Amino acid sequence: MPGTSEQIARLREEGLAALAAACTESELLAAKGRFFGKKGAVSEILKGIASLPAEERKAVGAEANRVRAELEAVFDSRLAGIREGERLAREGRDRLDVTLPGRALPPGHRHPISRTMSDIIAVFRRLGFSVQGGPDVEKDYYNFEALNFPPEHPARDMQDTFYVESRDGDLVLRTHTSPIQIRTMEKTRPPVRIIAPGAVYRSDSDITHSPMFHQVEGLAVDRDITFADLKGLLTEFCRMTFGPGKPLRFRPSYFPFTEPSAEVDIRCVICGGSGCRVCKDTGWLEILGAGMVDPAVFGFVGYDPEEYTGFAFGMGVERIAMLRHGISDIRLFFENDIRFLSQF
Amino acid sequence: MKILYRWLKEFIDTRLPPRQIQEALTMAGVEVSSCRFLGEGLDAVVTARILEMRPHPNAERLSLCRVTDGTSEYGIVCGARNMNAGDAVALARVGAKLPNGVEIRKAKIRGQTSEGMLCSEQELKLAEESAGIMILGPETLPGKPLADALGLSDWLLEVEITPNRGDCLSVLGVAREVASITGEKVVLPDASFPEGEEGIGSLVRIDVSDPALCPRYSARVVTAVTVAPSPDWMQQRLSLCGIRPISNVVDVTNYLLLETGQPMHAFDLDRLRGRRIDVRAPREAMTFATLDGAERRIEPGMLLIWDGEGPVAVAGVMGGRDSEVIGGTTRVLFESAHFAPASIRKTSRRLGLSSESSYRFERGVDPAGTLYAADRAVALLSRIATVRTAAGSIDAGGGSSFSRSVPFRPARAGRVVGRAYTAEECREIFGRLSFPVAEPEPGEWEVTVPPYRFDIEREIDLVEEVARLSGYEGIPATYPVSKAPEFSEDDRFADRLEQACEFLRGHGFTQAVNFSFVSGRNLEKLAQFLGYDPEDALRLRNPISEDTTVMRPHLLTGLLRNMSDNVRRFVEDVRLFEAGNAYGKSYADGHYQEPRLGLILRGRRLPSGWSGGPVQADFYDLKGTVDALLSHIGAGPPHVVPTRARPFLSEGKAADILLHGESVGWLGAVRRELLAEYELPGAVFYSEIRIQAVLAARQEPGSYRPLTKFPPVFRDVACVFPAAIPVGDVLSMVREVAPEVEGATVFDVYTGEKIGEGKKSVAIRVKLQPFDRTLTDSEVHSIHTKIVELLENRFGGKIRTS
Ligand SMILES: [Zn+2]
Repeated sequence: MPGTSEQIARLREEGLAALAAACTESELLAAKGRFFGKKGAVSEILKGIASLPAEERKAVGAEANRVRAELEAVFDSRLAGIREGERLAREGRDRLDVTLPGRALPPGHRHPISRTMSDIIAVFRRLGFSVQGGPDVEKDYYNFEALNFPPEHPARDMQDTFYVESRDGDLVLRTHTSPIQIRTMEKTRPPVRIIAPGAVYRSDSDITHSPMFHQVEGLAVDRDITFADLKGLLTEFCRMTFGPGKPLRFRPSYFPFTEPSAEVDIRCVICGGSGCRVCKDTGWLEILGAGMVDPAVFGFVGYDPEEYTGFAFGMGVERIAMLRHGISDIRLFFENDIRFLSQF
Repeated sequence: MKILYRWLKEFIDTRLPPRQIQEALTMAGVEVSSCRFLGEGLDAVVTARILEMRPHPNAERLSLCRVTDGTSEYGIVCGARNMNAGDAVALARVGAKLPNGVEIRKAKIRGQTSEGMLCSEQELKLAEESAGIMILGPETLPGKPLADALGLSDWLLEVEITPNRGDCLSVLGVAREVASITGEKVVLPDASFPEGEEGIGSLVRIDVSDPALCPRYSARVVTAVTVAPSPDWMQQRLSLCGIRPISNVVDVTNYLLLETGQPMHAFDLDRLRGRRIDVRAPREAMTFATLDGAERRIEPGMLLIWDGEGPVAVAGVMGGRDSEVIGGTTRVLFESAHFAPASIRKTSRRLGLSSESSYRFERGVDPAGTLYAADRAVALLSRIATVRTAAGSIDAGGGSSFSRSVPFRPARAGRVVGRAYTAEECREIFGRLSFPVAEPEPGEWEVTVPPYRFDIEREIDLVEEVARLSGYEGIPATYPVSKAPEFSEDDRFADRLEQACEFLRGHGFTQAVNFSFVSGRNLEKLAQFLGYDPEDALRLRNPISEDTTVMRPHLLTGLLRNMSDNVRRFVEDVRLFEAGNAYGKSYADGHYQEPRLGLILRGRRLPSGWSGGPVQADFYDLKGTVDALLSHIGAGPPHVVPTRARPFLSEGKAADILLHGESVGWLGAVRRELLAEYELPGAVFYSEIRIQAVLAARQEPGSYRPLTKFPPVFRDVACVFPAAIPVGDVLSMVREVAPEVEGATVFDVYTGEKIGEGKKSVAIRVKLQPFDRTLTDSEVHSIHTKIVELLENRFGGKIRTS
């Protein structure tokens, strides 16, 4: 018969193996009963201690108790593991993996021109302006003549015009949204406060010019409207659009339908005025044309210039979108590349 | 236009340095887009003379030059071969940093020391390219800074002149502008010269038969001159301002053009037949050969200059070959005229011929300055060449005053601008402008405007002068006090469109923006598949390219192109929309334009689907979007009916969208031939909606309907129909069976073997909602029976019993 200590060592090996092999709580309990339960092998050994010589008795007893303690510790931790596993398995049946993607269609994107235009319109509507539209295939009269561009005047060279084949030969693609000024004043009396957004066309194409682009034009006519009001309104618009701390600069300029006229520059939004490539080292960016409605224009719509004054302003939507998003090539807007559009 | 600072200083001894001139002019409305020192980087480059030249002992291609800058001699190794001993050259001395960035160091090249470099024009950034080193004029003295020798110790200002300020298209004009800002005085250069014996009247006779088109015609005659190159300084100034030097006589006219803005023409007096001039427009069309060699068709009304036998110039635009100054010319007639701006512009545009002269005449040339310019031309010529001059001048139309009197009220300026201007302030500004002021009534001024200011005719023009010359920065920023406007139709339209765009964005559609013009050639090529007659398209008279010749009749081709481009870039699931106009001819108004909304769709129904396989989106995905979109903007779900009238959609997969019986758009699968044309694999679904027609059908919610307390009853009916029966029709009829039928929806459609060929099984759930009572079993049964009868008798259905 092998020595008792060999028996204990083998028992330990077999007990550990059985605990490790148990996959369920009942298998684990069965292993416990077989090896170190009340009627298990270890108990049997302890019962047989009495038959041993007195000098071995103490050592064997201690060894058997140590093995039992070790097996019990392993049993406890295996039991906890199995219970946790079962709990997870049970719960997994009711629980969702919330990190998987949802089943909705991902939203699309607004075109940056449309988004910028909507933003501009929203600001001016807050400032008390109403939207007016007009046709983009326009009569020469509205696009030029009533805006004080006389037929043989060099001011007509300021805008390279597309002409449309027509019976009367007087159709153009509007070169600005300013004709809407005339159309509006023709049918209403002051006070007038409108903004006119829309597509406009000029025969010009390079990285900063597109044959079609978009403008938002504004017009306010009433008694006692002044250039100072124009300054105040545009200052407010720029603060709401580009954020505070961006001063404006009004420079005298020329448009046939306004006088006095101004180009409006904003402190460069890229460099803050220290000079950069975008502002051509001037520290200023041209963003608007504006001025007081020329009395000749009032003449065309039957307003009395002694009674009413007004201002008008216009801005390029692409230009503002380009500044806001750091876009340097205008043609990107019209390629409709989803990789580009999905950034807005 | 280009203005040289030193030239400007000859007209106004301004205290402002070039950069401040730039700032001041810009802030007064005459934008100076650039201002640069021409001699930039030429500091250590001097003129030098080659004393001796011999081949490099160790390098075949190099030569050794000994050059002098007048004080020292230098040995230079040079790679160019275009020079000879004795030539004047540009020497970059050791330490020079050239405009192209190269730094000159003392170097040993193949054993020979080189103490500098002989420069080419390209290296000095004086030319785009150059064949060899720069050879200077033979009279060049060595040791002068190169910038001085080339007239480059000067600043060049690029001035952008708005079309109203033709008076600023000259050195004199810009000087006047500076004066109006600073209050400094403009000084006209001396235009006197010794006159000869022979009177001009005996040399030439000048008539102006059309004085309306030519209010003034001044002339001077030089009776002896030798045509030769003009001096370096004059050639340099002309070149720097963009005009090619030709000869002393012609250069003087061009110099005057730049200096005073007065276009001049020099005729060879001996080539003017009959030695006479007449200024008039022909009564009949004719042809005339201009200086550039082209035969021009002259129409009645175009102003010409004639000699005794025929036309010799197109007035103010271009001269003719047969009277121009040539090598052997000795007697010259200088023409200095004022032509009516609109007439010159018309002629120039009709002939497609624009010149420095016509550009200025169109914008207005000072009618009071013609004689001064003629005098100055002769004076200048007499300084640069030996001349004999005729006595006196001819001045048709001279003696009249061309100035204008314009009314002005200082109070009016305040009312327009929004800040008060004192009388002193206004007087001071008009003083700087040299506009005399009279005050016949208190507060009602008469301001005399000099004739060169074509832009000032009305009070508002003077208000602008006061505003800009007192500075826009001094105008306060106030806020317009005015009643807020009514909510306009277009406000509503903008709101609905914004709602529609946001709805579509929320439903996975990305917004595209395409040009309103498309390729007419493409429309023609696809005409049969599009079902569109290209003759109905609005056409541009002057398109910018082949791809943009007609106004688009619909949004389809643009969106197909966008889809195709994106698929080519590996984007498989594409949903795009566009809000924009469609255009075409119409019999009523000649043309129409209509705002449309285009939607295009291909690819998977749910791009991120991980449960189940990838399901491709189909007709019903787009139909569902369109239905919901119309409801979203308040127009209610539309009636969708099959159509054959949309050839660009596949037959059997095309539908019209109706609201209250009116077609507001269409919907369907794009036909195969179009997909092939745009290289699109798989199915593509497209819808186009006429936005205004939809909004017209929009219904605002009315009075509310009280809510019922009684429970609804649901009944399901399954029925087998012939496959061609439209389920939509079935549902609308079922809804009409009894007032208690509140709704009828489809919850299953099945086709297959079990049902049989040409049949479909449709399961319908009917909701019965009584308002004021609980339905009895017999009432429910009665309605159910009516529905079954309807399905069987009207639609040929067979009720299925499971
Ligand atoms: Zn900047």
